[in-house]
Amino acid sequence: MRDVRVGGTTVRGTPARSIVAPGDLAEAAAVLGDAASRGDAVAFLGGGTELGLGYAPSRVDVLVKTAHLCRVVEYAPADMVVEVEAGITLAAMQRALAPHRQRLALDAPYPELATIGGLVATNAFGPRRLRFGTFRDLIVGVSMIRADGERVRGGGKVVKNVAGFDLPKLAVGSLGTLGMIATATFRLHPVPEVARAIRVGACGADGLVALTRATIANRLEPAAFVATRDAASGTYEAHVLFEGFDAGVAEQIARFATIAEAQGLTSESLGDGERPGALDEAARTHGDVRVRISVPPGDFVAFERDALAPLANVLGDARAIVYPPLGIAFVSGYATGVPATIAALQGARRAVEALHGNLVLTDVRDPALGDAVDPYGTVPPSFFLMQRLKERFDPARRLNPGRFLGGL
Amino acid sequence: MKTLPIPDRDVAIFRELAGVVGPGRTIVDLAELRTYECDGLAGVRVRPLAVVLPETTEEVAGVVRVAAAHGIPIVPRGSGTGLSGGALPVPGCLLVVLSRMTRILAIDLENQRMRVQPGVINLDVTRAIAADGYYYAPDPSSQSVCSIGGNIAENSGGAHCLKYGFTVNHVVAATVVLADGRVVTVGESASDPLGYDLIAAVVGSEGLVGIVTEAVVRILRVPELTRTFFATFPSTDEAGACVSEIVAAGIVPAAVEMMDTLAIEAIVKATGVDWPLDVGAALLMDVDGTRAEVEHTAGAAVEIARAAGAIEVRTPKSDAERALMWKGRKGAFAAMGRISPNYYVQDGVIPRSQISTVLREIAAVTASEGLRVANVFHAGDGNLHPLVLYDARVPGEEHRAETVAGKILQICIRYGGSITGEHGVGVDKAVYMGELFGDADLETMNFVRCTFDPERTFNPGKVFPTPRLCGDVPGAYAPHAVEATGVGRG
Repeated sequence: MRDVRVGGTTVRGTPARSIVAPGDLAEAAAVLGDAASRGDAVAFLGGGTELGLGYAPSRVDVLVKTAHLCRVVEYAPADMVVEVEAGITLAAMQRALAPHRQRLALDAPYPELATIGGLVATNAFGPRRLRFGTFRDLIVGVSMIRADGERVRGGGKVVKNVAGFDLPKLAVGSLGTLGMIATATFRLHPVPEVARAIRVGACGADGLVALTRATIANRLEPAAFVATRDAASGTYEAHVLFEGFDAGVAEQIARFATIAEAQGLTSESLGDGERPGALDEAARTHGDVRVRISVPPGDFVAFERDALAPLANVLGDARAIVYPPLGIAFVSGYATGVPATIAALQGARRAVEALHGNLVLTDVRDPALGDAVDPYGTVPPSFFLMQRLKERFDPARRLNPGRFLGGL
Repeated sequence: MKTLPIPDRDVAIFRELAGVVGPGRTIVDLAELRTYECDGLAGVRVRPLAVVLPETTEEVAGVVRVAAAHGIPIVPRGSGTGLSGGALPVPGCLLVVLSRMTRILAIDLENQRMRVQPGVINLDVTRAIAADGYYYAPDPSSQSVCSIGGNIAENSGGAHCLKYGFTVNHVVAATVVLADGRVVTVGESASDPLGYDLIAAVVGSEGLVGIVTEAVVRILRVPELTRTFFATFPSTDEAGACVSEIVAAGIVPAAVEMMDTLAIEAIVKATGVDWPLDVGAALLMDVDGTRAEVEHTAGAAVEIARAAGAIEVRTPKSDAERALMWKGRKGAFAAMGRISPNYYVQDGVIPRSQISTVLREIAAVTASEGLRVANVFHAGDGNLHPLVLYDARVPGEEHRAETVAGKILQICIRYGGSITGEHGVGVDKAVYMGELFGDADLETMNFVRCTFDPERTFNPGKVFPTPRLCGDVPGAYAPHAVEATGVGRG
């Protein structure tokens, strides 16, 4: 076992008393078993790209790094299914699939750093979510190491399977509070023959909504549809990605350009560096205050007016990327004074919750901000069931204690 | 006719139930109860203590509280079309039948959401929005009679889940009545829900966690174009290879269904489709999407089918002809009556690349018991539906059919597959759960059930191979500071 103790490593400000990097899954299970026997609290670290999420855990006695758990366990190209260990990065996994022209159809930011275990645990996603969904739509199996060190699995390695309770989807977004994700099994998609993006701009929020509606009404099927906000003018540029066979993509691009033109908007094909994924990453990893917002897409104009714009106008060098067809927005920037930023975040959250949406802080560097603004906001009415679920999986509350929603 | 006296406890229960839903929607008469003794798994029959037909969430909560007060088990039931015994009564249970909760409560095209009661028939969801160009994607073959509530319990699939996913991918929120009568909403109709994915715990729970009394489902825009083709092959080997090559070419079909000779014969006899009888296998395939994309992929798929050894490739000339092809496929189970007095359907899943090999093993196992097997299944995702044909009038045949069905599941497990792709475990396959999963795996799944229903009031004896208690949560639960001080500071 490689002990990679590094001074000063913290999880949301809580220092880790020790750091362990198991060399294989058996060692990882032994680490969790030992922690159980000592009553130690355990947290998990993959690529460290989403460490800003959640509350500070009440304690971290053992921080388990998954860096050495990076094997492709099984890859069956003919069945388009892969099982990988938690510590493999998204990019490394995609490289293993590329020779067969296959991919996991999920384009989360920082693919070279972010690990599969971390991405699953944080339910990360990227612009292609529009077409392919999130991890819950792609994961078909999981193996976990429970709080007591027991290795268990759910789901399997076939894409269609309803045998037993759905542990894979419960692992998605659980932020290391139900167990350690040891391996995950995914259904794969073919790498498309061509992927072409088109940029349309600039327009206001209402114009963006009109463009979205026209795209849906015309039955176009973009793989991604995101828009970036210009801080100075408050206008948006849409970046729309089409994937498929050459003939199909060419037709969709041409029709989309016609739709944009009919709305008085100009469009141009995007260069390789301007892919929606790159824009998404740039917007989401910028600044020292970052939030993710989800609202009903039909209320986008009200959301933009009452929540997004006021927040972006308070942050310094604000960036925003929105997914109009899905009602998702990422807003980031620099805090410009604690009281003003607190007020802006709380005001945005009130507006979002009034629309039956939610606003999650994905990273806040200033502890004064973090103390004043809850990372998640109002808990859902089913929270008592989530507490009971946590009690069943982790009765002694040793897995990332207190980090997740409502202190789960 | 002599009737036994009804125990005083039961009289009290009947009176309380009638107090909640009215005497007209409480069934206690032994003859009337017979209708509810089984679901689609018709070989097993158990009489419930009573049946109630609630019409509102409040009524469901009320009858659940009555059952809880008397400590009697509850079995929820939708249309009763399930094939694994999920709605099979357990002795002395209260059967809560949701078939009168058939209201569509809200349609929100802009956000692509629809709020429905559990008794709404699957196809009626699509019918309500078809004129606007939308549809509900999960399409089990029984979709003209099965209910959304039943689909949620079983996480139902269908032919087109190959591209569009299962019920769990299309339900975003559900109102659930828990065992103590408490009503809770899980999931979020408007946005990404916070916290654990409780929808994943409810959908596919096979009635073990509570009773869903409302659901918000995702509705999709109807694709611009759908192209269908029907191709025949000398054997299932060529048909299986064709499926593999289509997928290897980067095509994601909306559906690929395979039928073998016996299945084709039954379908032809029952539905009158003019499919040839002298072939070894047939594929029915849909591709859908935008116009040019579909024209390209449909053309490519037909070429691949020809190269893979197709005897004949037919493309429907009209929507009516296409509908008839799919009617043939979706009526396949019912058509078995034309070639066999009885059949036993399995629902095993295998890796797609193993289809030919596994079909041969299944044929050998079936022949060794002196029986025949018809195959009609979702080839794109390896979800087999072997129909073991038998005659219950012949002594021993039914038992041999069950033996074969069990061996088929063991073959699926051996090839790295699953014992059920869409029909559920129920009572039918519970015994095989212990072969598919280890004890610790099942214990962990039981955590989820116990989260919702610690007393195991709902559907006891289903899914898990051996009875599992919930027990108390061990250890002292020390709330985190955030929990202790109240959450959601805003």
